[in-house]
Amino acid sequence: MPGRILLIEDDANIRSALGMFLHQEGYTVAEATSGEEGLVAFEARASDVVLVDLVLPGIDGFEVTRQLRRASDVPILMVTARTDTHDVVAGLEAGADDYLTKPVVAKELSARIRALLRRAQPGSRPPTTLSFGLLSIQVEAGVVTRDGQGVILTKTEFRLLCELASHPGWVLSRPQLLERVWGYDYFGDTRLVDVHIGRLRAKVEADPANPSLIITVRGLGYRLEP
Amino acid sequence: MAFATGAALLSGALAGGTYAVAHHYLLNQRQASAETQTYNDARLVKQDLTAAGTNVADVLSLLAPAQGTRSLVYRGRQWFSTSVSVGRSSVPTALLAMVRQGTPAMQREVINGAPAVAVGLPLPAVGADYFEIEPLGELARTLHLLAGVLAGAALATTVGGVVIGRWASARLVRPLARVAVVAGAISQGALDQRLPADRDADLAPLVASFNGMVDALSRRIERDARFASDVSHELRSPLTTLQASVEVLAVFGDGLPIEGQKALELLGTETRRFSEMVQDLLEIARIDGGAAPLELEELPLDEVITRTVEAFTAVDIPVDVRPGAKGASILADRRRLQRVIANLLDNAGKYGAGATLVSVDCAAGWARVCIDDAGPGVPAGERDRIFERFYRGPAAGRRADGSGTGLGLALASEHVGAHHGRIWVEAAPGGGARFCLELPVDGP
Repeated sequence: MPGRILLIEDDANIRSALGMFLHQEGYTVAEATSGEEGLVAFEARASDVVLVDLVLPGIDGFEVTRQLRRASDVPILMVTARTDTHDVVAGLEAGADDYLTKPVVAKELSARIRALLRRAQPGSRPPTTLSFGLLSIQVEAGVVTRDGQGVILTKTEFRLLCELASHPGWVLSRPQLLERVWGYDYFGDTRLVDVHIGRLRAKVEADPANPSLIITVRGLGYRLEP
Repeated sequence: MAFATGAALLSGALAGGTYAVAHHYLLNQRQASAETQTYNDARLVKQDLTAAGTNVADVLSLLAPAQGTRSLVYRGRQWFSTSVSVGRSSVPTALLAMVRQGTPAMQREVINGAPAVAVGLPLPAVGADYFEIEPLGELARTLHLLAGVLAGAALATTVGGVVIGRWASARLVRPLARVAVVAGAISQGALDQRLPADRDADLAPLVASFNGMVDALSRRIERDARFASDVSHELRSPLTTLQASVEVLAVFGDGLPIEGQKALELLGTETRRFSEMVQDLLEIARIDGGAAPLELEELPLDEVITRTVEAFTAVDIPVDVRPGAKGASILADRRRLQRVIANLLDNAGKYGAGATLVSVDCAAGWARVCIDDAGPGVPAGERDRIFERFYRGPAAGRRADGSGTGLGLALASEHVGAHHGRIWVEAAPGGGARFCLELPVDGP
């Protein structure tokens, strides 16, 4: 599946190797050596996926992600050097859709990018509108409104919401959500789900601290209240 | 407590001693004065009686005894006294007997319901016996009062001792308790805790040196953590480049001569192995440095194990969930638990010709997972050593695919240990090895 990738990485060798690899896989790759350069490059050309290393000279990967998020819902894949909860959660909260840990296994990178691009395509979804209270989801159009106001969601957040909304009242476990939305097998990182639920709540709940729509079922998973 | 006992003993002894001395002294004094008075009065009586033809009753009435003192005279088988309240019966029998025999005597006795001193003097010159009875009632009352006051004082001192004791030990114990609390918090990882400065001259040095020690320790820990983190980053970057480059080259594999293809294959395998080793080492370094806290959550035991086994391999490995484990939950770090299971399955695959059975059971607060394999098993002598770092056993040289870092079981052991569980290997019924791990259901 061809697509345009923006690679923000300061290490020249990694940039070169990954760039070559992705090019071989059929993607168009734009490279940036710093966060600032990356933001400029993003403004200049549209990208389908942004790959950003957390450790950068100048502004760090978190800041880049935040700034990108403010302007767009482009899928962002973080590259981290550590699996520490703090880094991963901070990156996800800043707006990343998924993350990979160095050393990056090229094949894994390819799979993650494919998953992100798949999520971005509307694909074959039932042409329905789902409504829950003030929230209205136009599944095919990929539009969400709350009380008439449009809600901007990233592709991942949208997929997560649709997944929950397609089974109202049912509890979906973290591994299930991980598989259906991110495409991970059971080994996936459930923190991806947790942080994205948090981000979703911040956007669609009247009171994110006391959610009434997306409920946590302790020990089991999450449920959308019909 | 010690204070209270000491105070009680001391004040009790003091009070008792004071009372005894006072009692003894006062009583003796009284008795001595009674004796003197009796002698004086007896002399008067004798003088009067010697003068011919005097009436005992008149003589007695001339006496001017001290207040409360009663005098009696026994003469010619008759008893005479200065008061109607005393008579023959008032004189103690023993005293009477002695005086009759001609010996002066003194006796302390309860007479007419009140304590008194009775003194008796024989007056042979006039054929009479002279007795005096001096009441001790007042003295007794005074002594009782004294006893009461002293007892009260002793009690008050004891109570005071208890109060002071409590206050003093609290003053000592409270700061020590504070030290214990802060030390406990620090050992749990809260390295920013310090003791507040104490105004007390005795405790200030303790506080200062404690805080100094914690400062030094946390600096050291920070340094180590920073080192591990720097090393981590520096190692991971070149590995990324290596792996990606190998993947890029792989595309051209078919166009290469045989040696080239072989070299490419080796490059790929060893890069992968090197990468795994670095990750394992970094993991161990993090655990050693204490920078890897557990992320605990309530997990459905049977589901986690079953799904992990399914996800690990395309080959179907049967998972036997025993009745005790059905529906059971365990408090554990999901990622680590999965890594341990994956590790053991990987091990079974590499050295045990593949895992044949995974069993899950739960009993008495412990969850047990066992993985059997179809390999040659682990000899009894090696069963402890295989969990050591970098130990790969005699099988090490044989692996052609070069996989295996020697750290897998060591890491599994660390993860299980962090949960306060156990991991070991025994012989499987079928002849292969059975690796078992046990974790507390309620978490570490």
